[in-house]
Amino acid sequence: MTGSLNVVGYGLSAIGPGIGVGIVFAAFINGVARQPEARGQLQGIAFIGFALSEALAILGLVLAFAI
Amino acid sequence: MDIVLAAEQLNPLVPHTVEIVVGLIAFGLLYWVLAKTVFPQFEKIYAERTDKIEGGLKRAEEAQAEAQRIKQQYDDQLAGLRAEAARIRDDARAEGQQIKAELRADAEAEAARIRARAEEQILAQREAAVRSLRAEVGSLATQLAERIIGSELSDPARRSATVDSFLQELDGVDSRQPTGAN
Amino acid sequence: MTTMATAPAPGFEAPGVEDFQLPPIFGPVTKPVLELALAAIIVVVLFRLAVRKPQLVPSKTQFLGESFHGIVRNSIAKDMIGPEFLRYVPFLTALFAFILVNNLFGIIPFIQFPTFSHPGVPYALALLVWVIFTVVGIRHHGLGGYLRISTWPPDVPWWVRIILTPIEFISNIILRPVTLSLRLFGNMFAGHLLLLLFILGGQYMLFTADSILLKILSPFAFLMGIVFTFFEAFVQVVQAYIFVMLTASYIGTVLADDH
Repeated sequence: MTGSLNVVGYGLSAIGPGIGVGIVFAAFINGVARQPEARGQLQGIAFIGFALSEALAILGLVLAFAI
Repeated sequence: MDIVLAAEQLNPLVPHTVEIVVGLIAFGLLYWVLAKTVFPQFEKIYAERTDKIEGGLKRAEEAQAEAQRIKQQYDDQLAGLRAEAARIRDDARAEGQQIKAELRADAEAEAARIRARAEEQILAQREAAVRSLRAEVGSLATQLAERIIGSELSDPARRSATVDSFLQELDGVDSRQPTGAN
Repeated sequence: MTTMATAPAPGFEAPGVEDFQLPPIFGPVTKPVLELALAAIIVVVLFRLAVRKPQLVPSKTQFLGESFHGIVRNSIAKDMIGPEFLRYVPFLTALFAFILVNNLFGIIPFIQFPTFSHPGVPYALALLVWVIFTVVGIRHHGLGGYLRISTWPPDVPWWVRIILTPIEFISNIILRPVTLSLRLFGNMFAGHLLLLLFILGGQYMLFTADSILLKILSPFAFLMGIVFTFFEAFVQVVQAYIFVMLTASYIGTVLADDH
């Protein structure tokens, strides 16, 4: 069996951001369900939060290939 | 390890220059063409659509306002006409009253005038009658006296008949006289 | 994979990075280069068809074009950017269409290679977006105002600020374009790899492997390949959407008056 350990490391490192992204969107859905009229505002915040947490996973991807 | 070496040779994160150049040019042209020719059309159509809907509403509002204005005008006119008619009626009534009053005054004046003239006439006739009586009474008395003296004074019946016939003669004059005066 | 490795036939070579190194067709032109040009042509032609005869009551193609434009205009740009959104709608729509078509090349038969599983164009587009939102921010707030909005969140005690400001600086100014491009690239890369794995794996099981069990099981590999093709279609649309969404939200944050 061949492969790169880096990719295993990336898989591990993606767990955290995966949970984070899930939490961000769960909160977004909750918020919209409670106050549908706040959707526009929440959407922006949700996507910024999503981008922030996913940034970590993407850094992991970069490091998996770069190192 | 050779795996790492292979990964370094074929690092997927290393960009291909040709792709970057072609991609940027393609996207640039795409953006240029769309922004110049397509999206303004879309925006124009959106604006027209909005204008059509909002314009229709606005036109309906304007028509309603116009109708309201005309109705107001009509009402005003009607009220004016009604007032005018009432005024004319009042005027006519006042005028009629005035005319009636004038006619009555005229008639009264006429009546007064006629009465005055009649009185004058009556007075004048009476004076004339008095004058003629005064002239006649002397001669009549003289004639009567002559007849009495000429006939027999002793017979009272003849005397009274003479007086009566004389008076009857006079009555015939009297009864003729007032009808002529009237 | 362990099952495949135990097969006595030549072992299964899992698809990897080398499958993304396509040979040049002529000169320096490779398949993704042609795809980029093709994508631009497709988008332009479709949109030109949509406005060929613009009418108040739209025809079918015009309606499709308007819907596409309307999604970017009304549910991305208007919500994310705010009152001045109209200036950025053409850029965002063009970006969305370009990325979407390039992504969908990954599942369109006979093309079947997502352009952005090569990172060059995502880098370039993300850099373009970075330049745009930086210039917009500096023009709107001045250089100091732009930096303050990006790195100086209000109502924070000073000892938090020591940590927070560098983090904000890195995440808002350096990491934004990096993550923007790598998110797109990574999704396309991984998605294509996944499809390759199922299809090449199925091929190996059917034709190369000795075990009769693997030959019988191979249709499941192809079935999974089809299922994941649909999944990839979804991911490709979503990634194009997220790219444009984040672009709009970055422009929106630098235009906002408070943090």
